[in-house]
Amino acid sequence: MTLHPKERPDGITRRDFLLRTAGAATVVSGAGSILAACASETTVESPTGTGGEAVGPLGLPLARPDKRITIPFWEDPIASGLEPETGGTFTVFNYPDYLYKKLLRDFGKKYGVDTDYTSFQNISSGIQRLASGAVTPDVMEMTPDNLERAVAAKLIKPLNLDYIPNLQNNVWPGLASPFYDVDSHYTVPYTVYATGIFWRTDEIKEDIASMPQPWDIFWQAGDYKGKVGLLSEERETIGMALLRKGILDINTEDPKLIDQGVADLKQLYDICNIKVDDVQYQAVPENRSWLHQAWSGDPIAAYIYYPLVPKGTPPTALGFWKADKGKVPIQNDCWSVCSTTKKPVLSHLWLNYLLDNGIAYSNMVNFNGYQPPLNEISPEKLLADNIVPEHLTNAVLTNDDLGSDSLQYGGLTARGQQLWQDGYSDFTAAG
Amino acid sequence: MTAVAEARRGELSALYRVRGWLRNPWARPRFLVLVTWSYVLWSLVPVLIAVQFSFNATRSRTEWAGFSARWYWGDPVDSVWHDPTLRHAAIQSLKLAGADVLIATPIGVLLAIGLARWTGWGSRPSNFLMLFPLVTPEIVMGVSLLLIFTQVFTFIGTGTIAQILGHVTFSISYVVVIVRGRLFSIGRQYEEAAADLGASPTVALTRVLLPLLTPAIVASAAVVFAISIDDFVISQWLSSGGATDTVPIRIYSATRAAPLPSTNAIATVMMLFTLLSLVLAFLAWRVFTRGERRARAGQTKDLAVFEL
Amino acid sequence: MYRRWLWPGFAFPGVLWLIVLFAVPFYAVIAVAFGTVDPVLLQADPIWNPLNWNAGWILEVLGRLAPGGTFFGVALRTIAYVAIALALSLLIGYPVAYYIARHAGRMKSILLVLIILPLWISYLMRMLAWVNLLASDGYVNRFLTFTHVLSQPRDWLGGQASTVILALVYGYIPYLILPLFAALDRIDQSHLEAARDLGASPWSTFRTVTLPLSKAGILGGAVLITLPMFGDYYTPDIVSGAPRTSMIGNQIDFYFHYGGQPTIGAAITVILAAFLTVLMAYYMWTIHRASREVRTV
Repeated sequence: MTLHPKERPDGITRRDFLLRTAGAATVVSGAGSILAACASETTVESPTGTGGEAVGPLGLPLARPDKRITIPFWEDPIASGLEPETGGTFTVFNYPDYLYKKLLRDFGKKYGVDTDYTSFQNISSGIQRLASGAVTPDVMEMTPDNLERAVAAKLIKPLNLDYIPNLQNNVWPGLASPFYDVDSHYTVPYTVYATGIFWRTDEIKEDIASMPQPWDIFWQAGDYKGKVGLLSEERETIGMALLRKGILDINTEDPKLIDQGVADLKQLYDICNIKVDDVQYQAVPENRSWLHQAWSGDPIAAYIYYPLVPKGTPPTALGFWKADKGKVPIQNDCWSVCSTTKKPVLSHLWLNYLLDNGIAYSNMVNFNGYQPPLNEISPEKLLADNIVPEHLTNAVLTNDDLGSDSLQYGGLTARGQQLWQDGYSDFTAAG
Repeated sequence: MTAVAEARRGELSALYRVRGWLRNPWARPRFLVLVTWSYVLWSLVPVLIAVQFSFNATRSRTEWAGFSARWYWGDPVDSVWHDPTLRHAAIQSLKLAGADVLIATPIGVLLAIGLARWTGWGSRPSNFLMLFPLVTPEIVMGVSLLLIFTQVFTFIGTGTIAQILGHVTFSISYVVVIVRGRLFSIGRQYEEAAADLGASPTVALTRVLLPLLTPAIVASAAVVFAISIDDFVISQWLSSGGATDTVPIRIYSATRAAPLPSTNAIATVMMLFTLLSLVLAFLAWRVFTRGERRARAGQTKDLAVFEL
Repeated sequence: MYRRWLWPGFAFPGVLWLIVLFAVPFYAVIAVAFGTVDPVLLQADPIWNPLNWNAGWILEVLGRLAPGGTFFGVALRTIAYVAIALALSLLIGYPVAYYIARHAGRMKSILLVLIILPLWISYLMRMLAWVNLLASDGYVNRFLTFTHVLSQPRDWLGGQASTVILALVYGYIPYLILPLFAALDRIDQSHLEAARDLGASPWSTFRTVTLPLSKAGILGGAVLITLPMFGDYYTPDIVSGAPRTSMIGNQIDFYFHYGGQPTIGAAITVILAAFLTVLMAYYMWTIHRASREVRTV
């Protein structure tokens, strides 16, 4: 499963999370399957639907950009036109350091409630805590991969979009009704990011963007031993090896493909003594890493927050490349309303609040660094406001990057998740 | 050498000693001196340099640019005082250490006295059990505690309470070891004397034994405080996210990414807390054992703390 | 004078605590490792009754640790790192402990304080200190190029095994020196004088008297630092970050923290603990033997 970048136990500082993007997925596999607990069972059953395809816990197929799923309501959404609740405490459940707290406080002041921010370390432990009743938040940050599971366990409420006009008004059409939640029955999007290559143009001689297959640079990085890194993510690393060879099914569960990807990655030990971490947003500007797989928020965060080392290096020393549409993995996070909320109307209004252009912009620029999928927050605007320099505008995504032919690391069956995890373990063990 | 020759040599001047040294400058003591002091320097100088750079005027940790306190309180964004993540980490570290001391010390003291004097059938396994945490690799303890709080005691889960419970678990053994050493050196004589003079068991315990144990109790409290502040593995495994991160966890993530001198600064601050508590404990020990030292020759008994 | 139940009564809270929060969690790891995996969440499903234990995951991990398996290399590498680090630590630590114990004279207390000091400085701060020093433009490189030992700066932090081993030595050696010192300090001077009186040279006195008498200290200290070293995962992370220098602890960390498969993580932990139990058992036995001498309070 892909992990949310914030799901690192080492405690990311506020700056660190800048890279973090969603993608934390716990495998979604059939709740209806029976795991035979025979004495030496080590594989996990993966249930299949009528078409022989893998299904999620609701019996729907696993969501993919070209396989849109509509999640049915398990209860009726709240009625329209109700007044927001006041008094008491409004609680947000999210990764640590992933929301500009001032925005939360302002929201509380506007509606006359106290606010609280509870954090989870990774999305699956967050869902478990929610399920066990250990926490009773009003709203929760969600990832597409865990959506079906949360709905199956009735942990999140269906939405009444009358309270969330900003969804249709401001959000990219591609995410206003995303493939994993057609008609936005349960979620609204939060941040969006893509995976690419981040490097120091003053250290790397090659012109990566004009290479026929830019991912090959890692296999040609012999001159940069010890300064090359990949994201410490099982999906991103093996997925990159697949994309490099032109295999676009990054949700494959074919052991042969996964093994080949791992074998390719293993070549990197000798070629460039590859490192695996998630510190590129700091390490690249500080010249500790010259070439690193990165998320699109990283160069933006680097540009905003980290002065380049050595002193006086121009910002053009930062380079970013991402593949064209259909070949670049794009991920996004969302928000949803928890079933435990005592303030459903206010919760809807919070979702709307976060999709306000000004609020989302403030969240990104003053704190988050992650791009919200709003029409107004375009590459041109970010360029004009000097959030992003000219040469890094390709790190800003647009609605055009989405579509049924776009790539996203989606949920896998239990067996699939095991394959990817064990492959990644093999790669990091360097045995 | 005969006694006479030895005496004569002692009377001789420094000249003789210099000649002796010149004749064999590589005699083992010289070599050992070199090795020892080189080791001490190698051991401590890097830390001193790290402390020095916490006062660096620029962001660099490798180029000294002048003295400045900006990373401690000056810098409005990144200094230890102003950066909320660093400040909260420091507060969390102190919270855990304080709770650890308050819980582990009493339990450990009682356990030490109990184990030292209990001779029944359960005493050996209990002793064995007490020693185990001292030799268990932290990752094994971290794994076991994480599992117990997420599989069995799920009402606790991960977070501050779990971290406190974990810290106490590995701290108890340290208290026992230190207090037991002290128990060994004072023996039963004072309580027996008190009994001879008509004291009840309660009085003997509270007004004779406990005061005698005070230096060890204070020392073990300081030790527990120090190891709790510096603990990384258990705190990390039982952390539930940003708010429950301690200073070592922040140092870890910062060191892997690209540390600022503020990382050096927070590490220095914590180190000062630790050293302060140890100095206080040492002073308390010296104060409380004044009388005994006057009555006893030599220092070897103080090393009884290292007796396991 | 005292009631007989008083001492067990005193011990009770501590023993209860250790049972509930130390022994039971140990058992929980075993129960998870011998358990099954919940298919929906891929979370661990512990099996508490030994009669129902599922050996599948333990066998799976043992298979990976065997030659040809994915963990074979990292297991060997971990053992190699620990062995080399231990050897270096003894090489450096023994002379230091010996000097302080036997020859330091007036400097003894000062030196004792100086070698105890690192124990109270956070491990991570000590690693941070080295990360700063070993940077490309750090003091180490500057010194070595200045003295022409190196012709150009070396990339110490670029995934080097030597850096990891040196970091392990630096981190753990204080825990070795102290018990070594205690053992050497305990050696009665009269033994050595007897040997010298009987005509032994300083070197053979050392070899035949001091060294054997300090063996318990050497072994105890060695066990004391190798056990935690085997579980170390943060040192390679901090000073290297490359898979090629990773240790077995990193795999445990991965399978637990990266939301992966805690059952595999638990299985690796159980096997690691079993491996270390041999060393632990030795240590426990030594301590038990020593503690019998001090039991009479």
